[in-house]
Amino acid sequence: MRQRSLIAITAALAAGALTLTACGSRDENGGSDSGGGGTTVVIGVDAPLTGDLSALGLGIKNSADLATKQANKEKVVDGVTFKIESLDDQAQPSSGQQNATKLVADKDVLGAIGPLNSSVAESMQKVFDDAKLVQVSPANTGPTLTQGPDWQTGKKVRPYKSYFRTSTTDAVQGPYAAQYVFNEAKKKNVFVIDDKKTYGAGLAGTFTDEFKKLGGKIAGTEHIDPETKDFSAVATKVKNSGADVVYYGGEYPQAGPLSKQIKAAGAKIPLVGGDGIYSAEFIKLAGASSTGDLATSVGAPVEELPSAKEFVANYKAAGYKEAYEAYGGYSYDATWAVIQAVKKVVEDNNGELPDDARAKVTEAMQNVSFDGVTGKVSFDEFGDATNKQLTVYSVEGADWSPVKSGTYEG
Amino acid sequence: MSGVGPVEPGEGTRAWDIPDPDTPPSPPPEPPRGRLAQTYTLHRRVVLPIAAAVALLAGGGYLYATRPEEAPPEPPPYPSQVVGMTYLGREPPPDNAPARSFSMGVRLTVQSGPQVTVLGITQPYAGLSLASVPRLPFRTRTSFPHKINITMQVTECAQVPTNAGLPFLDVTMRNTRAIQVHSFILGEHYAQDLSEAVQAICGTNSATSPKP
Repeated sequence: MRQRSLIAITAALAAGALTLTACGSRDENGGSDSGGGGTTVVIGVDAPLTGDLSALGLGIKNSADLATKQANKEKVVDGVTFKIESLDDQAQPSSGQQNATKLVADKDVLGAIGPLNSSVAESMQKVFDDAKLVQVSPANTGPTLTQGPDWQTGKKVRPYKSYFRTSTTDAVQGPYAAQYVFNEAKKKNVFVIDDKKTYGAGLAGTFTDEFKKLGGKIAGTEHIDPETKDFSAVATKVKNSGADVVYYGGEYPQAGPLSKQIKAAGAKIPLVGGDGIYSAEFIKLAGASSTGDLATSVGAPVEELPSAKEFVANYKAAGYKEAYEAYGGYSYDATWAVIQAVKKVVEDNNGELPDDARAKVTEAMQNVSFDGVTGKVSFDEFGDATNKQLTVYSVEGADWSPVKSGTYEG
Repeated sequence: MSGVGPVEPGEGTRAWDIPDPDTPPSPPPEPPRGRLAQTYTLHRRVVLPIAAAVALLAGGGYLYATRPEEAPPEPPPYPSQVVGMTYLGREPPPDNAPARSFSMGVRLTVQSGPQVTVLGITQPYAGLSLASVPRLPFRTRTSFPHKINITMQVTECAQVPTNAGLPFLDVTMRNTRAIQVHSFILGEHYAQDLSEAVQAICGTNSATSPKP
């Protein structure tokens, strides 16, 4: 009797399992882009994957990849598998624009992460906006991207509704650096250098304005050619100016050698920069004399964020060769924001992607809100991150060490 | 039946007990080679229970060491990650406010986590001094907005910017996780009110000290 009961139960379970399997198959075939595992949604990633800035770019790409893997593992969106399509912009606006066009042409792409450089973003925004394809940058800090060209005069106008970012802007970063340098580092005479690019010149501008308002003096200004690594002429000018600090608007491939050459010229004064120099590569390039150099960067120090701890552990476990660098957490959050927007759109459309999925995802992005790696992730009316934390770091030995953090509450 | 069984054979009464005179006597078992083995043979009765006890202890220890443990509780968040500060606007100065001073209101809220104690509130300019009500230090309640009245006195006009774009307040906070100094950049409205207040006291020419 007992054996007979067992056989009956086993048969019933097997029949049930087969029925469920059959149901599952029907669902999978019903997706808009069936690939055997339900609908596949592609998230494009654009960043410099080769060249001088590849350390930051690869951190962005890997972190976006990690977010999609995590979403797939947790089945965050029922019936949807995410994958990334990463493209190399080599930090060139023209390449960024070509990549944007390529991503727009792929109907499976429902969102784009990147780019690193504000100048590259400028060339991509219209392409994405025309296609109603949402773009979330983890790294662009140029204020004009979200607030228009006249943001400094108070006329803030959002140029593109499809553009969002998870990082804070130079409207906060430059002045905060100026406040720190003037009030706490007690430096009153600055030599300002930039690389003439959108990011570098913009950041140097916001720093200079605030430094002057605080009563600081500008000992001199110079622009450098980012294609060269010989800054000896500028270094001599810095030495002769009597400046007690240098502010550099630009990125670490130039900032590292610049810092080294300024010190070698005899000006033993700190170089200060923004998030573009906050990289381990800067310290390698600048050498031992960079101790005491300063950088502001977006967000709070990773060790202060419990959510970041999990991200760091998962990143390590995933076995990526390159470090997540300054924007890894922001890239993860940007990608997760796209995933959350897709989830909302799918849930609102009876579990399937609608025909106008891109437009709907862009619309949904405005109201996305979740606790991310970098804190609470949501966007204001300009597409800027509502979480505006930033930190001043100082080179101590071979590492950047946090010295002060602030939160913009305006 | 008498109830008495057969008599059991005694030693040497069995047939196989009698040695066969034709068969050579079997040699005595060889003593085990090695000192340890010899010791074991001699003290088998003692060694075996000890070995069993050691094995038991080792097994128990292993089980204890590998027992499933509950994950340690997450440490509380850093104060800077849970404290928010909002600028409320200009406030009338308190009755005992010093000359050349002005007041502003801010709201501080601890969004989650354990209690946070506010140990200090400062501003970065050398020509301004700051006092606050409630008096410091004070303890906060989580999820409860605390209104703080800030009164600043201009002590040296030349050391105060009259139009800083992004002024902030530094707040020293402590909870069970850490003690931190964190800047709260209160935005354009705060910057504007601060500039206006300083300008009203120092005039547009900020190079002179206020007269008491």
